[in-house]
Amino acid sequence: MPAVAAFLVPGLPHPLLRPDNLPWGQLASAYKRAGRAMAAARPDTIILYSTQWLAVLDELWQTRPRVEGLHVDENWYEYGDLPFELRIDTELAHACVTATRKIGVTSKPVNYDGFPIDTGTIVADAFLNEAKAPLVLCANNIYHDWDTTVALGRVTARQAEEMGRRYAVVGVGGLSAGMFREEIAIRDDHILDADADRWNRRVLDLIERGDKAGLNAALPDYAKAAKPDMGFKHMAFLLGALDEAFYGARVHGYGPIYGSGAAVVEFRL
Amino acid sequence: MATGEILAGYLAPHPPHLVYGENPPQNEPRSEGGWEPLRWAYERARASLEELRPDVLLVHSPHWMTHVGHHFLGVRHLRGKSVDPIFPNLFRYSFELTVDTDLAEACCEEARAEGLVSKMMRNPNFRVDYGTITTLHMMRPQWDIPIVGISANNSPYYLDTEEGMEEMDLLGKATRRAIERTGRRAVLLASNTLCHWHFHEEPAIPEDMSREHPQNYDGYKWDMRIIDLLRKGETREVFRLLPQFVEEAAAEVKSGAFTWMFAAMGYPEIPGELHGYGTVIGTGNAVMEWNLVKAGQAGRGAGNGGGGYGGGRGPSSFGSGDWRPGSADGRPRP
Repeated sequence: MPAVAAFLVPGLPHPLLRPDNLPWGQLASAYKRAGRAMAAARPDTIILYSTQWLAVLDELWQTRPRVEGLHVDENWYEYGDLPFELRIDTELAHACVTATRKIGVTSKPVNYDGFPIDTGTIVADAFLNEAKAPLVLCANNIYHDWDTTVALGRVTARQAEEMGRRYAVVGVGGLSAGMFREEIAIRDDHILDADADRWNRRVLDLIERGDKAGLNAALPDYAKAAKPDMGFKHMAFLLGALDEAFYGARVHGYGPIYGSGAAVVEFRL
Repeated sequence: MATGEILAGYLAPHPPHLVYGENPPQNEPRSEGGWEPLRWAYERARASLEELRPDVLLVHSPHWMTHVGHHFLGVRHLRGKSVDPIFPNLFRYSFELTVDTDLAEACCEEARAEGLVSKMMRNPNFRVDYGTITTLHMMRPQWDIPIVGISANNSPYYLDTEEGMEEMDLLGKATRRAIERTGRRAVLLASNTLCHWHFHEEPAIPEDMSREHPQNYDGYKWDMRIIDLLRKGETREVFRLLPQFVEEAAAEVKSGAFTWMFAAMGYPEIPGELHGYGTVIGTGNAVMEWNLVKAGQAGRGAGNGGGGYGGGRGPSSFGSGDWRPGSADGRPRP
């Protein structure tokens, strides 16, 4: 069974911690609408790829059955703490550790008390996973290119299908990555660069219309012009996991987070 | 209050493998050893630090990377368990540290006065990064000296190396003024690796030293060239080469700690003492010391001594804010 739901969502903590600030509150509202869509899809596993879980050696997969704690973002600590309590689909995660060998990627399980869960994973889980479905969490190895990440998404989804999971896929990360480098009046937050803003809107429009050919053609220029978060690899993971089998999307919200671009997108499958 | 002074600066890299190899009680994983030459280098550095008896250790770490400005730990006591996200199999360390918040506040104020965006981190639940903890453990495992933790602003990556280094230069000068103003006897720790080319897979036994060697020969040659210059006290030449070194060896000094430390010390043209060099998953790591007390330069500050760059302009050229690391001819720009 293919994915029952798929989302592209931001990983910065601002919408979760400061929804009282209008620009971020609009993203929080969008995130909540996506959360309702996720609940309606009733996945029994959520596969989540966050650009903020960085790996350098190998591909890492969370395999601790329960992961809980209190996280403080290293940049945005003044906005508050991020408590988390996650359940992990360890059976599927271990299967993925083995399965990535097929695509030439060496994987390792991660099962350690106190392992630092990244902000993006916590934010996405908080908004999208009210039912506390078990997660499959895999890292963003900074040396993996676009194609490797597409393959990683594909092999993960195939593994979920082989194991009979009713699964959803979430790519967690930003659009244009340029941020303000000084303190700003947060109520006036806006996309740092007008050209990046145009590019973000263009790419979202292509996704919304399900124009995969146009999207694939535009992505290299988008990467150069808007410098999306981590090369937009969270989108690569989604494209691989969905095998590009989406016919459109609904953009629940688009806006700035400290100058960077952020969007909550629900794919039509 | 007596005027404070910088006693020494150390290049003190932070591979968690060194803590793992040492098997201290704070770290959960157990090893059979490994990376001994580097750990013995740190033993020598620890001995010299003991002789200096500083009031405070200041550490600039690339693994607390911040977007908006330069941040300083601002909570008096911090404790917790630090698990390295990259090497969780090697580093799960229970730490407890005391921050010299008065000095941290002064550093933050002086950085602002330099025009830098700077912030105090006051969240008591903050998790201190493993780079800071590793460097501090390797230098002073007793944890009995207060510390100041400084983030690595991402300007060298977000902007470019030269612009980023200019910020780190200003941050170093601000740090020095804060130390002087608060009367501290301080030691600076630059938590940086040199060549950062590394292997992409870990041996089954991480401490199997038959698998440890430089990942990249050109990177190794770069490390030897830089260390040789540092041992000769040719600081000016090192900073002329720094952008090229960063580019060709992916040197972690790009993150700014090395420049911050040298700027604070006034770019002294004194021979650095190499305590040891070794590789960790192929990266180049040197433990080095610039002892300003032994060199008779402690307390002389950037504007008061330590030689000068630029056509006999003398010591004042350090303190005038016109030093630009990596300028084409190695001299301050007008």
